[in-house]
Amino acid sequence: MNPENLKSGDTDELEALFDSIADQRAWDAPVAAPAQVQQEAPVELSAQCEEPHDVFHRVGSLTRKLHDALRELGYDKSVETAVNSLPDARARLNYIASLTGQAAEKVLATVEVSQKLNDTVADEARALDKQWDRLHNNELSLEEFKELARQNREFVQKMAGHTSEMGGHLTSIMMAQDFHDLTGQVVNRIANMAQGLEEQLVQLLLDTTPPDQRKQVEETWLNGPTINAEGRSDVCANQTQVDDLLESLGF
Amino acid sequence: MNPEDLRILIVDDFSTMRRIVRNLLKEIGYNNADEAEDGAIALAKLKAGNFNFVVSDLNMPNMNGFELLQSIRADADLKHLPVLLVTAEAKKEDIVTAAQMGANGYIVKPFTKATLEEKLGKIVAKMSV
Repeated sequence: MNPENLKSGDTDELEALFDSIADQRAWDAPVAAPAQVQQEAPVELSAQCEEPHDVFHRVGSLTRKLHDALRELGYDKSVETAVNSLPDARARLNYIASLTGQAAEKVLATVEVSQKLNDTVADEARALDKQWDRLHNNELSLEEFKELARQNREFVQKMAGHTSEMGGHLTSIMMAQDFHDLTGQVVNRIANMAQGLEEQLVQLLLDTTPPDQRKQVEETWLNGPTINAEGRSDVCANQTQVDDLLESLGF
Repeated sequence: MNPEDLRILIVDDFSTMRRIVRNLLKEIGYNNADEAEDGAIALAKLKAGNFNFVVSDLNMPNMNGFELLQSIRADADLKHLPVLLVTAEAKKEDIVTAAQMGANGYIVKPFTKATLEEKLGKIVAKMSV
């Protein structure tokens, strides 16, 4: 891969692409004869939409070139490993969604039961209070008063059970918060994996930087933390450096 | 042994987990607890303070649960400290390693209040003997 050719090829290609899109007025314009479009390789696009087959072939050919280049550079294995960790990351994310969902459901259900219990206690207390009002208004007979006293006693005794039950629900709600720990550990693992993947790709980018842009990259490095003073221009130490590097390369 | 005589150190890098364990211990009857977010901080607290029980996670930065356990068992003043591991790790090899390293109990997350009470109780019962 000759960096010089690549550079000029890219600029012409991009310009041609832009022009072709700017010239297009309607996306449903009739498609040009397939043979004609293919012959205009490497890049000059006609004003019409490309055939799907043609696009497919070009993507396929680019993918092959990329694959071969990676293999030549010795990256295919490490990129493969990085990419293979993605399904694992997906599974882990599903686990997090499922665990947090379960915790939420459990808490909501417990809250509903607790509120019912709370409402029951409130209703009973209100009913008793009404009776006590009647007593104060001298509206109760002796028998009714004895009944009220009995009911009140019963209520007080039930409170022990009610408060214990409510306490249990509160404990249950508290325990349901353990999802934070379990999902947090998984999140850390995914974050590390994403960082690893990013490192692989940035490393690849650094190693394939064309010579004329390499100086720019090195200058970006020297503005970084002391770790670079040891002369390593091939390592990114943190997110800011990664962003600087990408920006300096025009991304 | 009276519940108030137990001075527990809770070790876990997740503050929510430390809080949950602390609240559960309170519900079970143990009100004397302190916290540490990794093995290194825990070891320092154990050496300086006056604890007689450790509840610890395994996966922690700086010094993990196994390393903490080893350090405790290797220290002349701390080697008899009861250590109850509470961890998301359920691999058999971890459980075996924990037992071989001298852990007094092993609880797998997520756990219930009943489990914590039972395992804790077992260890505490042996302490009075």
